[in-house]
Amino acid sequence: MKTYTLNIKHKLGLILVFLALAFPSDLIAQRMGHGASRGGGRSMSRPTSRPSNSRATTSRAPSRSKSATRPSTSNRTPQRSINGGHSKSSSRNYSKNKPTNRSTNRSTNKSTSNRASTSNRASSGKSKIGNNKGSGSAPKLDGSKKRNTSNVKNKSGNRGNASGNRGNASGNRGNGNKIDNSKRNINIDNSKTVNINNRNTRVNASSRGYARPPYRYGGHGYYCHRPYYYHPYTPFYWGPVYRPWGFFVATIATTAIIVSITSDNSADEKDEYHYENGTYYMKTEDGFVAVQAPVGAQVPEIPKEAATVEVNETNNYYYGGAFYEKNADGYIVVPATAGTIVPGLPEGGEEVKIGEVTYVQFGETYYQPIQVDGKDMYEIVEVKSE
Amino acid sequence: MKKILLLLPLLFISFLGYAQEVKNIDSTAIFILDKMGDVIGDLESVTFELNNSSDKLNEDQNIEKQYSTSNISFSGPDKLRIRTEGTEGKKGYWYDGSYLSYYNFDENNYVTLEAPETTLAMIDEMHMNYNFDFPAADFFYPSFTDDLIEQFDAIKFLGKKTIDGEECYHIMATNSELNVQLWISDKTYLLPKHFVIIYKNKSNLQYQSTFSNWSLNPNTPNSIFGFLPPPNAKLISILKKS
Repeated sequence: MKTYTLNIKHKLGLILVFLALAFPSDLIAQRMGHGASRGGGRSMSRPTSRPSNSRATTSRAPSRSKSATRPSTSNRTPQRSINGGHSKSSSRNYSKNKPTNRSTNRSTNKSTSNRASTSNRASSGKSKIGNNKGSGSAPKLDGSKKRNTSNVKNKSGNRGNASGNRGNASGNRGNGNKIDNSKRNINIDNSKTVNINNRNTRVNASSRGYARPPYRYGGHGYYCHRPYYYHPYTPFYWGPVYRPWGFFVATIATTAIIVSITSDNSADEKDEYHYENGTYYMKTEDGFVAVQAPVGAQVPEIPKEAATVEVNETNNYYYGGAFYEKNADGYIVVPATAGTIVPGLPEGGEEVKIGEVTYVQFGETYYQPIQVDGKDMYEIVEVKSE
Repeated sequence: MKKILLLLPLLFISFLGYAQEVKNIDSTAIFILDKMGDVIGDLESVTFELNNSSDKLNEDQNIEKQYSTSNISFSGPDKLRIRTEGTEGKKGYWYDGSYLSYYNFDENNYVTLEAPETTLAMIDEMHMNYNFDFPAADFFYPSFTDDLIEQFDAIKFLGKKTIDGEECYHIMATNSELNVQLWISDKTYLLPKHFVIIYKNKSNLQYQSTFSNWSLNPNTPNSIFGFLPPPNAKLISILKKS
């Protein structure tokens, strides 16, 4: 019998010791809690005890309106606090799982609990600001306050196609358009209705290695041979026969030739382009509209304003934002190659802030503004997933 | 006896747990940090100046110093204005409770985005989505001390030091990646004076900031938080991080 009771005692003792050691954080929290880290007389359970002052973002609108009706002599409102007031977790247990209450637990009743007697801020200036704020807190969609906001770009998942296209750089260029049927036309500039066809903006990899580390942002590396040098994007003018994308004509000259390219939407259909003097037109209901050059188009000649650009140590021709390679029948439109330096960009591009840099984007091609011998130019960026 | 033996492993497990849970946190440091948090949390508006120096690895993997000066204004829970000028250019942030605008003075272009309703939520979201860095924003999180406790393995009070003729409490917080040192001024109010962040795993790169010209609860007109694009400034697009 005696041994039995001893056993119970032992077990109880061991369990107690176990409990004490299993939750050491609570013990520390108490030590800390009663030590220097807490001032006296402050409620530990601030958020739950005063729901009306909760700074949770959802309840913000009603609490705002309340502040507007508050008499100007009342105690200072914690809602004016720049961060909603200092919030401390009620148990400083130092464990990894401790919630930090960053967004939900903003309430600070400490400021309301004993402020009334001491502060008594009758400052009219403050209350005036409060009132202004109340009127300024119009809902976001209020038409009068609606501002022009930036177009937010997302990196879509089909970037992988860019690399899929790379192997074809030399032999199979004309077929680059069959690679992805999921691609869609994205409308870059609504005011000018310029459609950028993603197929025509895929970038072939540069054959040269990059000595310069990439600019990294959002899981992608942006590789360039030359340093970033910003200059504002202004569409380039290619001379008298140049027609920017979106340019509309009712009829085109009979000298225009017809170029058939496999359609984006279906591999069986072909899109018909009318080519004249470096410009490609597509037929619309009323006439013809200038569009981006389709990759794979074979044309007999290009305007004399075409510039020579070096691509992978060979010369290509650049006109109206399209790259041409010379062959026996004339010139063929080839995809852009990363690292190519071009003197100007056509219309339809869009300046995009990517972290700390601003690139010009056409569909999936990014152009980095650079400077070469004092002249503003662009280099085609190679984007790699990292 | 057998049962006791069974309990013994439990006892050891609890010791293991103890070893993992414990952090070397100095109560004096926490007290000072909490006091500073109280002061910041009670502010209705504040303006101050921040002098930054940050190390960056250049293309040759050498450390390159960058310097900047920022003027920062908070007002109420939903107004923020930052103007930064330095070796990396001149830029500004305007946040009026509904929109955040970022303007690059050198490139003369800007981004305007719809923003959350409070300054802190805005800072969080903009940093997460677009890598916007708001200088010294860490100090303005309402649970700054708790965040430090959560993130760091050791927080120590290293005594009183004098910086720029101001007596400061020197606090160091460390974990495997970072060494953060704070100097909190004891001049009139407990407010941050200086801090250093050392990235241990990245060639000990340092980020330093000095606070000055604190103005507590200034009467800041709301209009300064609204962004008015300068003539010819261009609204540009922005790429989300993921």
